Amino acid sequence: MSRTRRDAPAVKTYADHEVIVPAHELSRAVTLTGTDIGPDLAAIERAEQALSELKTEFEDWMKLECDRLDAARLRAKAEGIRHAVRDQLFHAAHDIKGEAKTFGYPLAAEVAESLCRLIEHTPDPRSIPFTLVDQHVDGIRAIIREDARESSDPVGSAMVTRLRHVTDEFLVHANRRRLGYLDGIVITPPPLAPRE
Amino acid sequence: MIRIDFNRLRFLVIDDNAHMRRILRTLLHGFGTREVYEAEDGAAGLEAFTHYSPDIVITDWAMPIFDGLELTQMIRQPDSNANPYVPIIMLTGHSEKKRVIRARDAGVTEFLAKPISAKSLYQRVLNVVANPRPFIRTKTYFGPDRRRNATASYPGPERRKGGDKVDVIRIQPLLAKATSSL
Repeated sequence: MSRTRRDAPAVKTYADHEVIVPAHELSRAVTLTGTDIGPDLAAIERAEQALSELKTEFEDWMKLECDRLDAARLRAKAEGIRHAVRDQLFHAAHDIKGEAKTFGYPLAAEVAESLCRLIEHTPDPRSIPFTLVDQHVDGIRAIIREDARESSDPVGSAMVTRLRHVTDEFLVHANRRRLGYLDGIVITPPPLAPRE
Repeated sequence: MIRIDFNRLRFLVIDDNAHMRRILRTLLHGFGTREVYEAEDGAAGLEAFTHYSPDIVITDWAMPIFDGLELTQMIRQPDSNANPYVPIIMLTGHSEKKRVIRARDAGVTEFLAKPISAKSLYQRVLNVVANPRPFIRTKTYFGPDRRRNATASYPGPERRKGGDKVDVIRIQPLLAKATSSL
């Protein structure tokens, strides 16, 4: 599909760089009206209404994403967490992290985020205990099964906190030879139990 | 008020997750867009970009074949036949600062972290349509000006060389034009 030829951009050349101002073709889509400089709230509201009409499908979509995560977990158990299997597991968790809040399950997004951190920041993913992976995946399933949609749900939020603590402890241990690597990633939690 | 006529804009949405593509399509249609093209991976996205010449690209980061960052770098080839100046909005679950910087340095125009909302998507589109940035070409970079604002009070070193005082090309955003005409 051809488009009309674009006007050449204006170029200003300096010693080590150029500043290029392309023709602003998208200005054709802009209208200045009235005295209010705020966003078009009516357009935002229409879009939110359209999205809310999708909500009847969100529960099914969430279950499909959980099934996908489960399949990745089973494959990881069979083949070990490495290479393409690691990527598949991470990707499934990453998608849930990005979508679950929109689907109405904010706590599931937090658990998925913890699982992503576990996979991404463990130097050798093969050393990740499967029990910890299982706890994350089963935790997400439990949130969906129990329809825990509020981020203030006491059982769900306690589980999220616990998982995060345990994951952070594991990451600190796994990265003990990489000084400073976890700065900004893990806030070292106090020990949950007295150490020997 | 600045009103965007979404029915005059063509979008390309690139995401390997069908649910996310559906959500984006729903939001864009809700805004009034009629033309929304889709692709499910980086390679298909590049082909769709070349074929449909969209006005705005919305891409995920993590995708099979090649990811959103690589796609952005391919689009930003300055001598390509397609439009290397197209606004690229990266929509991703990655929100760490180092990720944002990597996306910026690859030539992404706007960064939008998931979960997505109608308001946040609208704001990013408004930014690229009503407040476009000039492009910068150096030996190592070609893409939108990575300085969102040119400020006289900036205390750091001036890395761009252009003489004693570098000219700053100020483009009056349409938002500013709207307020000045009131």
